[in-house]
Amino acid sequence: MRKNIKISLSLLIAGAMTVGMLTGCGQDAAGNAGTATDGTAETDDTALEATQPEQEEASDEEQAGGASASGEAVTITAWHDNDEAMMDALAAVVNEKLAEENITLRFEKKSDVTGQIRLYGTDAANGPDMYLFAHDSLGGFAEMGILEPVGNLISADKEADLLPMTIEAASYKGEQYLMPVYYETLLFMYNKSLWKGEVPSTTEELYDYMVENTDANAGTYALVNQHSNSYNVAPFINGFGGYIIDKDGNPGLNIQETKDAISYNKKFAALQADGDYNTVTALFNEGNAAAIIGGPWLVSGIKEAGIDLGIKSLCDFTLPNGDVMTPYSGVQCLGVLKYAAESKKDAITRVLEVLAEPEAGITLAKEFNCAPANSRAYEDAEVAANEMILAMEKSAQKAVPMSNIPEMSVMWGPAESLLAAVNKSGEDIDAAADQYQEEALQAIADMQ
Amino acid sequence: MNHTKKNLTPWLYNLPAFILIGIIVLFPILYTGYISLTNMNLYHWQDYTFVGADNYVRALGKIDSGFIAALWTTLLWTAVNMVLDVGIAYILAVGLNAKGLRARRVYKTLLIFPWAMPAYVSILAWRVGMYNTEFGLLNKVLVALGFEKIDFLSRNVPAFLSCMVLNLWMSLPYMIVMFDGALQSVDRSMYESAILDGAGAWQKNWYITIPSLRKVMAPVIIMTTFTTFKQFDIVYLLTMQKGAVSGSTMQTIITYAHQNAFVSNNYGLSSAVSVVIFVIIIVFSVWTNRAAKEV
Amino acid sequence: MVNRTATWHVKDKIRLIFLNLFYICVCLLGLVPIIYVFLLSVSGGGGALKTGFSILPEKFTLDNYRRIIVEEPFLRWLLNSVVLSVGTMVIAMGTSVLASYAFSRFRFAGKTASMQILLLLNAFPQILSMFAIFRLFRLLGLLDSHAGLIFVYAGSMCIFSIWNMKGYFDSIPIEIEEASKIDGASNFQLIARIILPLARPAIIVTAVMVLIFVWNEYLFATTFMLREESYTLAGGLYQLQANDYSRSWPLFSAAAILVSLPILIIFFCFQKYMVSGLTSGGVKG
Repeated sequence: MRKNIKISLSLLIAGAMTVGMLTGCGQDAAGNAGTATDGTAETDDTALEATQPEQEEASDEEQAGGASASGEAVTITAWHDNDEAMMDALAAVVNEKLAEENITLRFEKKSDVTGQIRLYGTDAANGPDMYLFAHDSLGGFAEMGILEPVGNLISADKEADLLPMTIEAASYKGEQYLMPVYYETLLFMYNKSLWKGEVPSTTEELYDYMVENTDANAGTYALVNQHSNSYNVAPFINGFGGYIIDKDGNPGLNIQETKDAISYNKKFAALQADGDYNTVTALFNEGNAAAIIGGPWLVSGIKEAGIDLGIKSLCDFTLPNGDVMTPYSGVQCLGVLKYAAESKKDAITRVLEVLAEPEAGITLAKEFNCAPANSRAYEDAEVAANEMILAMEKSAQKAVPMSNIPEMSVMWGPAESLLAAVNKSGEDIDAAADQYQEEALQAIADMQ
Repeated sequence: MNHTKKNLTPWLYNLPAFILIGIIVLFPILYTGYISLTNMNLYHWQDYTFVGADNYVRALGKIDSGFIAALWTTLLWTAVNMVLDVGIAYILAVGLNAKGLRARRVYKTLLIFPWAMPAYVSILAWRVGMYNTEFGLLNKVLVALGFEKIDFLSRNVPAFLSCMVLNLWMSLPYMIVMFDGALQSVDRSMYESAILDGAGAWQKNWYITIPSLRKVMAPVIIMTTFTTFKQFDIVYLLTMQKGAVSGSTMQTIITYAHQNAFVSNNYGLSSAVSVVIFVIIIVFSVWTNRAAKEV
Repeated sequence: MVNRTATWHVKDKIRLIFLNLFYICVCLLGLVPIIYVFLLSVSGGGGALKTGFSILPEKFTLDNYRRIIVEEPFLRWLLNSVVLSVGTMVIAMGTSVLASYAFSRFRFAGKTASMQILLLLNAFPQILSMFAIFRLFRLLGLLDSHAGLIFVYAGSMCIFSIWNMKGYFDSIPIEIEEASKIDGASNFQLIARIILPLARPAIIVTAVMVLIFVWNEYLFATTFMLREESYTLAGGLYQLQANDYSRSWPLFSAAAILVSLPILIIFFCFQKYMVSGLTSGGVKG
């Protein structure tokens, strides 16, 4: 009997605690709504949400050693979803330069990094200080108000050497939010021992070559591409004068130019296996495909497979309309979260300044074939001789930077569905284009 | 006194569980309901305001022909999977308990292998190792037999079947184990007397085993039905993952909601859609429950 | 019995042979994808995906396993997985055995309704709950802590466990309890001494289900855990290899096998408890 009472008591206490917790949350929720309606929401809200974490933050900083002004150790954490070796190499460059100032940059791999930033972007206690991602996600984060514009942290003269194209990609609504690190474009990559003769200079000749040298049932292919991924079809779409979304946020899936490009791509797709990333890279690395449309991220696998790699810029292929294939360019940038810019301003500024110098870019170029955002990095002899980087540099003259408006983030889905419907399910291009244009418009409307 | 105590005792037993469920399951539902009344989205991330039922008007607007199709697909998906899951698991479990089957422990362990793998590993392994046109075992077999390659995931019907096979592969181990456990509770003496009465294998199953299992298995089957109903990973990772869209447009209501509200990062709207779907699930299960009682 | 032995021999031996053949085929069929994963895991780097019909790797290597165990904080992740699994199991089973017992044994107003409400609550897709739990845990400072994750897992599995065990509790004859009640045992003693041993198969199966859920869960594990050293096995593997662009298939497969092995070992060990049910519990008599 006594046992019974004891247990009942402990249960009651547990219950009371829960009720307390739940009402606590209720207050928070009400508080949020309350402050939100009276207009001064932003500051109040962050203050409210920060109350508890801030204490932890304080103790955190004590451990980390406080501000850099006092010369004590500061660690800057950055999230990424990239090649770990590459990020470690980048951190090493920065850390070597800032060793005397006791600033350490540490990269942490996070899958679905944009989703994580959405969750943790206002969480000073647990979130990172920076993140590295392609520039197309910028608009959304900027609208959310979680990013500190890099322009507020680093003076313009320190960025003088950065390529204008990369600065443009890192800017949204006239403000430079991100720090460009390197950029990439798609390339025509071929296996020198498998490709017969010269690589053609028109897409029609390329197609003829593919028809002659592809045997799907035997599993041998001339050229493979992720033919239903809009990033990989963009060279056709841009080359035909179409677009996925224009700068005002209007989707262009069913305009005639885009449809022409997709129909044109379809005949290539029929000779390119299922177009899945795993499939096409494995086909190429295994020697069952003579060429692939891809980027520097494929190089480590290709090297491991011992392939003699040849490279050509996609801009060297002329389309039937006389224009050239025009890939997207993607700029990998570091973004700084607002709360970090407040608490670790000096250290972060120093990290950004080091990244704006040529050395970081040179390291990434030499070891990982990335095209640096800093123009002076190309003065390095080894970088200047890198065939892949040269090809990307050439492409970059024509390439269209991916759109970074918030609407871009909802375009990938409908665009890819449209391509898959046409290439894989054999649907009629006109009907499918209208359908997915409608879906895209709906998705954009749903954002508001 | 004694009477009140008796009334309270069951609730005391339930309290710890209810507290836990209250925090982890109920609170998120209520919170989702709260968010659904606000305009929390990219443009109002930290300064969201109360907008009343606006999101619900928009969410109900999403219940169009696409949604109805997705609902039917989901019902078909649940029904077909459950019938096969329960049927196959029952047969395998009964067989495993056959007299004199010495290797049953080995078989049982081998049969639960698929269960031990994290879901995303299994799904990726199937996508590349089984269904892929170039590396997939199924297509290798087809080519070896002189047939054309098939893209299993590019059209709706083959994609539905492919997802179903994978779902069965992933869910059968659990069902088999549960049936096997439940079979131990069947009174053996009933079989002995049935044999004396001259009952065949079919009759033994129909008149003894199945009725004895019903009570034990009912909760398990009901739970699995709900799990199957809200299955998301398989359909999503197999056919619609970003960068690997397969071409099939098969949608269940969960994937439909995901595509129509969640990709837009409008938390207010997607919360309203979640609540609407939740209500539909409730109405649906109450309805099936009633229908089941009438039968 | 004796006079039936002769017929038993001929007929049942043939039947057993067929039954064995049948199960060997079923097992092989079920194992094909896993064999595929295993073969990938022991093949060298580079072109592990083969278009040829032969799926045997050209060279056999355990290097991928070595890399996972040595180069990644594998043991740390293993330990985290164990801590989380055991913690979740204790909390989830502790709460749900009590509740399940109450639902099975007591008659009280709202019993059926409560069971059904629980079921409906469980129908809410968990992935939609993440944002709310995130907000709550941030407030409570439970992010990036194993305790928080244990809470999430236990809560997620609680309804399932109650439902999973209730059916079995129902099948235990109430007479046994009444006999001990007359002997003066309290309800809690009753549960500990009589019900738990009798319901062992259901409890063990449910506990193993909880364990497998925790062991293989990755979404909450990667979203709520922020440092590499606090990941679980499944979470760490997902974090490293989820991205198509950075996935090395052989490494990924080796990690997958390593994650699955402990579950199989546990299952093998507990199998005999799972099946030694009521028949050996003395209920029959």
